[in-house]
Amino acid sequence: MALLLNTHLHLAIDSLRRNRGRTFLSALGIAIGVASIVLILSLTGGINQLINANSDRNNADLILVRPLAGKNATESIIDEFTSNNQFTKSSLTLEDVKTISKIEKVSSTAPIAASTNAIKIGNRTVQSVDIVATNADFANIVSLRLKNGQFLESSLRKNVAVLGYDIAMQQFGGTESLAKTFNYNGQNFLVVGVLDKIDDPVNYNGVNLDDSVIIDIDFASTFESSIQIQQIDVRAETTDSVTAITESIHKELSKTKNGDQNFSVITSAEDMHPAGSLLSIVSGMLTLVASISLIVGGIGVMNIMLVSVSERTREIGIRKSVGASSGNILLQFLFESIILSISGGILGFILGYIGAFIISLMTPFAPHISWQIIIITSAVSLTVGILFGIYPAIKAANKDPITSLKYYR
Amino acid sequence: MPKEKNEIIIELKAVTKRYGFGDAESFALHNFDLTVKRGEFIMIMGPSGCGKTTLLNIIGLLDRPTSGQYLLNDKSVDHISSRKKAQFRANEIGFIFQNFNLIPNLSVIENVSLPLIYSGHHKTRRLKKADEILERFHLREREYYMPYQLSGGQQQRVAIARSLISKPSIILADEPTGNLDSRSSHIIMEELRDIHAQGNTIIMVTHNPSLTTYATRVINMLDGEIDTDIKTVDDSELPRPGSPERISVRILSKKRPVELEVDSKTKVVVSGEHVTIGDSNSIDAVTKPKPKKKLAKKPRKKIKPEKKEP
Repeated sequence: MALLLNTHLHLAIDSLRRNRGRTFLSALGIAIGVASIVLILSLTGGINQLINANSDRNNADLILVRPLAGKNATESIIDEFTSNNQFTKSSLTLEDVKTISKIEKVSSTAPIAASTNAIKIGNRTVQSVDIVATNADFANIVSLRLKNGQFLESSLRKNVAVLGYDIAMQQFGGTESLAKTFNYNGQNFLVVGVLDKIDDPVNYNGVNLDDSVIIDIDFASTFESSIQIQQIDVRAETTDSVTAITESIHKELSKTKNGDQNFSVITSAEDMHPAGSLLSIVSGMLTLVASISLIVGGIGVMNIMLVSVSERTREIGIRKSVGASSGNILLQFLFESIILSISGGILGFILGYIGAFIISLMTPFAPHISWQIIIITSAVSLTVGILFGIYPAIKAANKDPITSLKYYR
Repeated sequence: MPKEKNEIIIELKAVTKRYGFGDAESFALHNFDLTVKRGEFIMIMGPSGCGKTTLLNIIGLLDRPTSGQYLLNDKSVDHISSRKKAQFRANEIGFIFQNFNLIPNLSVIENVSLPLIYSGHHKTRRLKKADEILERFHLREREYYMPYQLSGGQQQRVAIARSLISKPSIILADEPTGNLDSRSSHIIMEELRDIHAQGNTIIMVTHNPSLTTYATRVINMLDGEIDTDIKTVDDSELPRPGSPERISVRILSKKRPVELEVDSKTKVVVSGEHVTIGDSNSIDAVTKPKPKKKLAKKPRKKIKPEKKEP
């Protein structure tokens, strides 16, 4: 059997060699499809790496708790982006924050309730300012650096606020804005601190802290009827205890919520980053579009194989008359199309990598070729070869030897 | 296993091949009985459309009869799978066609070795066997020619070599000389006669009555039935494998003597019109071609490395 397969492989290679031009062109069709997939995957991989390198420096001991509205993963990711600042009903409460903070080996716990609202500075109204309601632990978790003043602290009075760097510069006239006041939702707030510029302003919290006004969540809950907690950041004392804490969070929260599992606990670095998950959706869509060109390439292969089958009707008849079975003929033609598409795949991989490299010269990130991309492309080209080669091969195998021998071209 | 003399290879019993139904019904073969013994050279003649080719296709397992029984080497092949049939075609049956049917983009040696692919031989073994058989057909120098570079007669000899390569029990020839001029036909018929003399069984379809002299049995067909069936050679005189080889020599050049070693002792030398048969040692001296005078070569000077004087 192995010998026969080997023979068929050689037969297929021989007959492809005889039609070099045709072989090259139909392989090129596959190559373009594969190249675009490689290009997209390697570039998004590069972007992802860049994001993760920026945001996950010391996040191995970080755990996120997010509300879950009983939707599937993709929907909830999209939901996170579209409804971040809208008041959909969150399943997390301040009670939950307390419950989590009591779990063993949890070093700090900070809820995040972000919203966009207007504030009044003196007589001037500033529209759509990101208001982030959280607690004092937030500074430890995100490791914020202060330009001026101090962060929220339980010893202070409640109606204080910390400004992001950009909003301080744009709306409060510089970073020396301590002791300035503003009005939000009918309450007067005193600025006690200004943050330094942050390297990765949008991180796993999904909020641009440079543009945000940070206020105390306990105080906010006194004048806002229902505070919407989008996320609870939890930092463990040690990296080892992350798994244990995750389990305890599940257990404790279910207890207080009467067994409702309407929340998710996230620990892996990629999932933490909302931008990363959006990127994976976008790259998935792009790959889908690119695979259309792969289908076109596959149809090209099928077309060529059909031409080849009818061109070689007589050869098929001769082979059958000297002892080839239908299976032999099927394998010979199937191997041809598989070789076509796999060599197209290899060519496409090289083209895609070169393309990604050229593009990366103009962008800040390097293309990232992972073993997954290699496996995906080889699997895809093998599948295309079989999928689009099987019909012509069956057609060849089913030819009647007597009529094939009478065939003149 | 020693094969019995005049063993029956093919037995057709009441084989019928029908095309169409009802009013359009026609019989290519009608209750056809045929028994073929090892070593027979059968010529099948008859007008066009009398079912000769259909008969060959059924015997060659390319076509299946509508009804009737077919025994090949005492085994029924009526209800075997198409894969098994393909195996039979690869090992037991050799085809020779009117239009040669060589694969145009394969070289001669690849064409000849084609059946061995499907009986499962390694490439080196395939090529070696093909090389051996091509030598027998005086085509060794043409091994790597493509079919279109050969004359019709040569192509048909390649096709005959292909049909013989897997040592089949039967060779089916469908008008092998139909596309050839009389000189080439003669050569092809001589080849077939040689093959037959070596104990092969041949069934040949032809339109040319003058070729029947080669046959041991002539069958005339009419409307799918046997009209006449004449045996010209008694069954006991049929050649069988292992019978002493008939040696045929085609003298291509009259200038150079041709030597043939029959066995370790006997040698035949054909020189011009003289034929000498004798002990291999005694006639050795007579036939050895004179050694060619070597071209006087200038003795090459040996270049000695020059010694540098200090």
